[in-house]
Amino acid sequence: MSQFSYRRGEQVTPPPARQTSDVSVMRFDHIYEVDPRLMQRVPQQPFPNWDTLRIAHGREDHLAWMHRHFAHAVISGAEVLDGLSDE
Amino acid sequence: MSTARQDPPAPDAATEEFVEQWRNAAYNCYSSGHKFCREVCPVLQVTRNESWTPTAFHANVVAMEHGELAVEDVAEDFVNCTQCGACELRCPNTLFTGDFYRFRTRTVDLVKAVRALAVDKGIHQAGWQRWNSLTDERRHEPVLGEAPIDQAHVADWADDLDLPVGGETVLFVDCEAAFYRTSVPRAVAQILKLAGYEFGLMREQWCCGGPAAEMGYLDQAQRFARHNLEDWRAVGARRVIVLDPHDYITFTEDYPKYFGEEYDDIEIVLAVELFAELIRDGRLSPSVAVERTVTYHDPCRLNKRKGIWSEPREILRAIPGLEFRDVDRVTQWSYCSGGGAGLPIEKPELTAAISGRRLERAAELEVDTLVSACPWSERPLSQAGEEHRIDVVDIHELLAESLGIEVGGRRSA
Amino acid sequence: MSTVTAPGLADEVLGELRDVVGDEHLLVDKPARMHRARVPAPFPVHRWARHIPDVVVLPACTEEVAAVIEVANRFGVPVVPRCGGTGLTDGAVPLHHGILLDVKRLQYIGDIDLENRTCVVGAGVNMLKLNEALARHDLFYPDDPASYPCSLVGGRIGTSGWSLIGSRYGHTRDLVLSFLHVLPTGEVIRIGEGGGPRISKSSSGYQMKQLFMGHQGTLGVATEATLKLYPKPEAEFSPFWAFEEYDTGYRAVRALAQADVATFAGAVLFDEEKVRYLRRDDEAYIPQPENVRALVCSALYGNEDEVRAGAGRLMRIARSFGARYMGDEISQGDWAARHDRYATPLHGRTKAGQVVPMSWHCEDAAINWSALPAVREQWHRIVADLRSRSDVFDDWGMFSYTSARTGVDYLTEIDVGIWEQELDEETWAMWVDAKREIARVAVAHGGSISACHGSCREGEVDVVPEELGGAYEVMRKIKRTLDPANVMNPGKYGLDGAFEEDLA
Repeated sequence: MSQFSYRRGEQVTPPPARQTSDVSVMRFDHIYEVDPRLMQRVPQQPFPNWDTLRIAHGREDHLAWMHRHFAHAVISGAEVLDGLSDE
Repeated sequence: MSTARQDPPAPDAATEEFVEQWRNAAYNCYSSGHKFCREVCPVLQVTRNESWTPTAFHANVVAMEHGELAVEDVAEDFVNCTQCGACELRCPNTLFTGDFYRFRTRTVDLVKAVRALAVDKGIHQAGWQRWNSLTDERRHEPVLGEAPIDQAHVADWADDLDLPVGGETVLFVDCEAAFYRTSVPRAVAQILKLAGYEFGLMREQWCCGGPAAEMGYLDQAQRFARHNLEDWRAVGARRVIVLDPHDYITFTEDYPKYFGEEYDDIEIVLAVELFAELIRDGRLSPSVAVERTVTYHDPCRLNKRKGIWSEPREILRAIPGLEFRDVDRVTQWSYCSGGGAGLPIEKPELTAAISGRRLERAAELEVDTLVSACPWSERPLSQAGEEHRIDVVDIHELLAESLGIEVGGRRSA
Repeated sequence: MSTVTAPGLADEVLGELRDVVGDEHLLVDKPARMHRARVPAPFPVHRWARHIPDVVVLPACTEEVAAVIEVANRFGVPVVPRCGGTGLTDGAVPLHHGILLDVKRLQYIGDIDLENRTCVVGAGVNMLKLNEALARHDLFYPDDPASYPCSLVGGRIGTSGWSLIGSRYGHTRDLVLSFLHVLPTGEVIRIGEGGGPRISKSSSGYQMKQLFMGHQGTLGVATEATLKLYPKPEAEFSPFWAFEEYDTGYRAVRALAQADVATFAGAVLFDEEKVRYLRRDDEAYIPQPENVRALVCSALYGNEDEVRAGAGRLMRIARSFGARYMGDEISQGDWAARHDRYATPLHGRTKAGQVVPMSWHCEDAAINWSALPAVREQWHRIVADLRSRSDVFDDWGMFSYTSARTGVDYLTEIDVGIWEQELDEETWAMWVDAKREIARVAVAHGGSISACHGSCREGEVDVVPEELGGAYEVMRKIKRTLDPANVMNPGKYGLDGAFEEDLA
């Protein structure tokens, strides 16, 4: 049940960071973050884990919405390329 | 009347401290210019008044830094916000890079901070001052208008339900549900009992303090929070079930800030998430058909502020007999009831206009029912619903009905 | 004769304005006036007070707009129209205080004609919100600028807007069939193709529609527009390709644009500096190997069979240039993010690499394909010079977007980060000089200073007479004829000069 419930103790410490490039790190799968060493003039905000996830999921939802807003279907370039290879 | 420019007083210490704290955030918005916050903002949709945009709210801080404005000049403008969170979520500085930089747009916090700064300086909105003063006196918000609210009656809604007091899990019931729309807590309590889920009521529940914080009355908010936390501790409670999204925000955002580590072990559970799980697990089986054509209103404080949109839909899809005409959660970023952050107290006509718009959207779907998961939204939505002959019901009420529960209580005054 | 009032308005004027819009919609408080003084373009914050209007009016309808302008004319008071206030050329920034005419309340969607596929909207309508409503009829209005989620129809007319998918559907000037326009003297006329409201092409009388689009409020105000509608596209295709150097991408984008694919809606070339800038944000942009230095993307919209056929053709063309398709996740995600990802304040960096919030200057010259490399080289040199002199400036790279379906010209954009927190008179002056040089480069290469924002900004506006040549004199004559009291957005485009000489 605690998968969806909130406990401060589970939220305030993000997972450890691993370096992904000179300027970026990763804590949650597929969610990149700026290397905190670059945030000295603009201090980072307290950011509970649920907030990082809310934003990342919201972004995905929004992108899907934007596609639907402009067209009924999205064509896959990978499929088109596969079709070309068959030629 | 002259329009000659009047110079504001030089910034005082409190203002300087405030500006220093908000400077980076203010310039982040000011320098961005995207303004994607606007068309999703319920206040902007209805009023088209640029003075009440998040852009303006942030630009006020820049103006204050430059001595062009003081908080006296802008306090009234900051009334016009329901703190729904649409703006700060849609802002590209949140949605596209907020998680990357661990720095996002926080218009809701800014609005609260300016309101608190105003109160600190003795600048009050009449309606809010009265509301929070009565809350302080009575420990609960004056949701019954002139009829008095009383601490002694906070659990009257549960009179015949035979609920214990205390225990490891307590059910917290917000003021609107405890005193006004009592069908909601009655539904929740009876569903929990049906599922065999153990819980009790608080020994002495006070208002969560969230609305006071939203309106700028921070000291009061913190006093009430301290009282509630101590009451939980006193009965050994470590888990709090909430049925109201406003409480969910208060307990997962405000209380952690007030209490820090002391609060680490308190578990907050949202009723709709719990009920969706109980349905999945087979502990609840809605089986009574409810013949309604419904659409769902995503409460702002669940969908936008927390990203919680899926479980309520699961519940609706589990109720037989319902024809459910959904509107997706992203489209609903721009929907609101207008009921939040004290707006109905100071600007009831604005709340009514916002609710009116929400009902117009629902009416386009040709439904007979609008289902919400937030008691505070249900009052303005119900009022707007009368004109469209759309019934506004709470999701817990609907689930209880489908579980064969005779809920009782009332849905309006 | 030019009449520009000093700041502050007479009670008599306020009284008449109050009679028109009502007490509630006449705003004199300082915050209301301050918040309508600027637009998203980088703004010299230390000069804010210079641009604050004397009063704000929020009319409800065309008649009220006309009445406000009539009052302004009678008293010789400046009027600055403001729609969304999301423009990028300071068009809506008052230069002589006056009356700020905010038309956002004209927010209605009127008649939707399903037979001829047109609709009528008030100037205060946003295109995204309009399309949400049109979706019910499976129709859409394809005017898609970067400001799509927030810009308003009136501003699109006032600036003569440009659309990201304009190479297929046309731009604002093609999509707006006609509009109600209030002249600087207060009369309301219909501007369109001839006199019919829903006509796309006429030769009856002078063809005035384009004159009354893009004037930045100097020739009056549009209050209501009749729009041409399309069916909502069956399909969308938006490939992104990676290149190892700019030159190959540059040649590839021409081939894509010139392939004459019917569903082609646009192609965009990202230069090496732009790719470096985007690497600052690896979170939505899956990290690419170091050898990716330039990108091209394209967009197709239309019937699914036609989009698929066009897709095959474009993929073949890109492949022939050695382009690497970047995959569906990037291609689809980055296209859907097109309004959002390219102007992020925290992508600003000091020379030491620290994150600072920067404002986004977005240049938008119109340049022929053949001139792109030279313009690119000279613009980067100008911005590099700025950055060497001050940390306030940052080079965020360049885009070139097709404007037309033959690929004849490109909206060519250099993005300059400007650290507004640190901006002062000295750095502002440096910026204005650079802005003027940037504009001169466009003109020197046979282009136009602006494809769509307008060219009213400090620095660039000085180059407008150079760009237009003899046409600038005609512009001044028209201004003087239509706005004899010089009340409409006075000072814009240097048009105060029209009143200082005898142009008979």
